[in-house]
Amino acid sequence: MEESKKQDYSEKEKLEIFNNEFLPHINSMYNFGYRLTLDEDDAKDLVQDTYLKSFRFIESFQKGTNAKAWLFRILKNSFINDYRKRSKEPSKVDYQDVESYYNSDDVDRQITTDLRVETLQDMIGDEISNALNSLDVDFRTVIILCDLEGFKYDEMAKILDIPIGTVRSRLHRARNLLKEKLSDYAKKMGYKN
Amino acid sequence: MSSADNPFKNSDGTELSCIQMLNLILDGDASPEQHQYFKKHLEECMPCYKSHELDIAIRDLLKVKCSGNHVPDDLVNRIKTASQKNNNGR
Repeated sequence: MEESKKQDYSEKEKLEIFNNEFLPHINSMYNFGYRLTLDEDDAKDLVQDTYLKSFRFIESFQKGTNAKAWLFRILKNSFINDYRKRSKEPSKVDYQDVESYYNSDDVDRQITTDLRVETLQDMIGDEISNALNSLDVDFRTVIILCDLEGFKYDEMAKILDIPIGTVRSRLHRARNLLKEKLSDYAKKMGYKN
Repeated sequence: MSSADNPFKNSDGTELSCIQMLNLILDGDASPEQHQYFKKHLEECMPCYKSHELDIAIRDLLKVKCSGNHVPDDLVNRIKTASQKNNNGR
């Protein structure tokens, strides 16, 4: 992210950047916070904390660059450093375990789901939201960034501090897992797929 | 389509798999040349055609069902007040 060179903004400029470049992303930020924490109050705290940090470190932000990616990176770091540490969530699945488990398969295996488009279109309830929420947070995150927020691979790599190749493979695995979950829902709904 | 025409290649010259091509296309990271090649490929590859349709449907459903968490009104005010306080307090 463009933060190596410190900017020198007047107080008026800082407020302008904050109001015009940062605040317009608040809906996306809240949605990201909610999808990470799965709790409305925690999401609010996380978003507020992110915005206060963005103001405090505003001189690391270069006007006119990708404010949304910059903010998402701060939120993601706050989530990892602050929220996850104090979270009372039951012990998290160790990410390395998850990654090596899925690495044991062919990374590019195409799952043999016969989930059908018509079945998906009948999912008018919370099935997809529940399926997304049930994924491990690292897999959930890449789907949110790519499919909900439209970030490109290189932007995701910067937000998540991982190489582009890892973004691709993690996204691929996340999508396979999501399809498997959706396929399970479809079976429960009585579709034979 | 001959291999020489395939614009989907890794840095070591090997060709990308169907699913890798599909993801590049759907994630908006493909070049116009790759889009053109993939369009032709879809006509010949049934697994890709099915995956393409399904992946688009999943993305659409995600956007409709998982983007709607509207930010609570009081949060914007809380943030504005807190940031102004921070600013004045320096």
